[in-house]
Amino acid sequence: MKNVYIPDIVTISEIREETPDIKTFKLIFKDKEVQRNFNYKPGQFIELSVFGYGEAPFSISSSPNQQNFFEITVKRVGDVTNALFKLNEGNAVGVRGPFGNGFPTHKFEDKNILFIGGGIGLAPLRSLINFVLSNREKYGELTLMYGARTPKDIVFKKEIETWKKHVDVHLTVDVGDETWKGTVGVVTVLFKEIEVDPKNTVAVMCGPPIMMHFVTKELLKLGFPEDQIFLSLERLMKCGIGICGHCNIGRKYVCKHGPVFTYKETKDFLETAI
Amino acid sequence: MQKMEKYMVLSKKKLGVLVERFLKEFQVYGPTEKNGIIAFEKISDWSELRLDVAGVPLLPPKKIFFPPEEVLFTFKIRNNNDVEIGDPLDKIKEEKRVLIGIRPCDVHGLTLLDKVFISEIVDPYYVTRRKNTIIICITCNNPTEYCFCNFTKSGPSIKEGFDLLLTDIGQFFLVEIGSEKGKDIINSNSDLFQEATENDLIKRDQKIREVEEKLSRNQLTGANELYQKLIRVFNDELWNEYGRKCVACGKCNFACPTCHCFDVYDVMELTLKEGKRVRKWDACHFLSFTRVAGGEIFRKERISRVKQRIYDKYCYPVDEFGSIFCVGCGRCIHVCTAGIDIREILKKVLGM
Ligand SMILES: Cc1cc2nc3c(=O)[nH]c(=O)nc-3n(C[C@H](O)[C@H](O)[C@H](O)COP(=O)(O)OP(=O)(O)OC[C@H]3O[C@@H](n4cnc5c(N)ncnc54)[C@H](O)[C@@H]3O)c2cc1C
Ligand code: SF4
Ligand code: SF4
Ligand code: FES
Repeated sequence: MKNVYIPDIVTISEIREETPDIKTFKLIFKDKEVQRNFNYKPGQFIELSVFGYGEAPFSISSSPNQQNFFEITVKRVGDVTNALFKLNEGNAVGVRGPFGNGFPTHKFEDKNILFIGGGIGLAPLRSLINFVLSNREKYGELTLMYGARTPKDIVFKKEIETWKKHVDVHLTVDVGDETWKGTVGVVTVLFKEIEVDPKNTVAVMCGPPIMMHFVTKELLKLGFPEDQIFLSLERLMKCGIGICGHCNIGRKYVCKHGPVFTYKETKDFLETAI
Repeated sequence: MQKMEKYMVLSKKKLGVLVERFLKEFQVYGPTEKNGIIAFEKISDWSELRLDVAGVPLLPPKKIFFPPEEVLFTFKIRNNNDVEIGDPLDKIKEEKRVLIGIRPCDVHGLTLLDKVFISEIVDPYYVTRRKNTIIICITCNNPTEYCFCNFTKSGPSIKEGFDLLLTDIGQFFLVEIGSEKGKDIINSNSDLFQEATENDLIKRDQKIREVEEKLSRNQLTGANELYQKLIRVFNDELWNEYGRKCVACGKCNFACPTCHCFDVYDVMELTLKEGKRVRKWDACHFLSFTRVAGGEIFRKERISRVKQRIYDKYCYPVDEFGSIFCVGCGRCIHVCTAGIDIREILKKVLGM
């Protein structure tokens, strides 16, 4: 029986700077067998250990089509993330997972998809977008609305450019600068720029709770059914496996039942989700 | 007519002999009394055992399976590129333990914890300790004013969850066998046990009736409606009073036999080359319980944390595990700094 609390060792094989405080880490399990068997879905997360500093959950930001490695995209905010940012290529960290339900991609087939991300919330959506693009014919029209604090804080800049071939991309920043010619304002301002048919579109979002709150409100106003709005939620996590009790929102554990829920489901939690 | 081969009797003196035999082979845990404090402790002599104390020890037996603080693993950082991990399970696996004198409410508490720690995902530390610990339960013989197991249907008697069950019937304990492990104990100590008679069973039933009688001073009823009523009153004003009173000390969490939340953190040795990952009991009453990086706290108001604990006992686990997570032990009432009585809350919810 494998001890569920003991991480497998991975090597950081590449570090890419996305923004001044966000980096993408390419990870490969030391044990080839473990790497081979590491299968995940877009929207699932791992628990990452920086030994001596602790463990924290991060969405897998690479697409499951990648077999020989996986990636996480991390914003520097506290103990574990600061320690991680000090490490170099070749260094070892620990990984448990994958955990969580992930996005129900089979339910998105034959539908248009509206991706909505805020800040680092684009990390799990990147996994999903690249997964969808590699099976492009299965889905309808694709639209991305993404908001960051400033132009410097936009993640996956180069990759977003490549998405534009297949995805109708709309960006906004809270605060512009001299280089920025695009939209300024919170994500919801982008609703003015897009046209979606709520009848045949699923909305999939990840971002700060307050953003998801207002975006959901707009989507409902546009006529999106409550069960076609998918939210990737965030709560404090310690175990990632439904035991430590930290991540629950009312009757649901975000780590075990989520992190992805439909808006309809969140209405039954009793506690407010967003 | 009950099947008699399941029942034996053991004289009180011979229980001492049995415990002494256990002590040669096992670590033995049970209720002890030191300076007026009753606690589940490891004993080294059978005379330390207190089987007839009033109520239950203040800290529940969960600590024997899920210690307040425990090492999940140790690590050695060879260089930044390699880490070696040490698994403490190997040592835990070798332990052989007996827990004697645990009451039915607490046995229920353990079977509830089992649902959390032993599901699709298995907590290896907990399950290993559960497997290597023999449970010798004692029918409750001395409830206190805090007890309300008649409401939660977890006492004063019990039908399963033990290896052996003792009931004090005067000179003797009536002994019921609950598992193969229990049967083995009887077989390998057959010189100590005698077969029970029909009369012994009558005495047991009488004993249980007496205790039930004492418990009936607790008037709380209507457990079946609790779930629906809780859903209805989530935003009710009745919670305000408790939000005001509670001081968020977390004692009720630590004293509860079914509270299982924990924090996880790393501790480094001074060499900065070795360390350990530790888990420690945590409390949903603490402000820090839901604080994420950046400072957001999802349950900022005390009222939301009071509700969290109550709903996580009587509502949420009904969906998740099919039963309430309270065994009516009354510990949270006994320890509450603010004098909050969970039965009073339940009465308000039930409209009593
Ligand atoms: C399902 C999920 C997916 C996530 N995906 C990403 C991602 O792709 N990229 C990213 O940058 N961040 C992500 N986060 C947030 C990330 O987990 C926190 O930023 C991180 O835990 C902060 O750790 P720290 O030690 O640096 O901060 P500290 O403030 O020092 O936190 C201490 C500990 O508390 C816990 N903790 C603190 N904040 C959070 C939080 N927001 N969520 C969960 N646990 C927390 C962790 O165990 C952490 O180690 C995700 C969170 C969840 C729940
Ligand atoms: S909620 Fe209170 S009475 Fe119920 S099991 Fe926990 S400590 Fe005992
Ligand atoms: S013991 Fe009482 S005061 Fe302390 S956290 Fe629990 S309810 Fe609040
Ligand atoms: S993170 Fe421990 S229960 Fe969800």
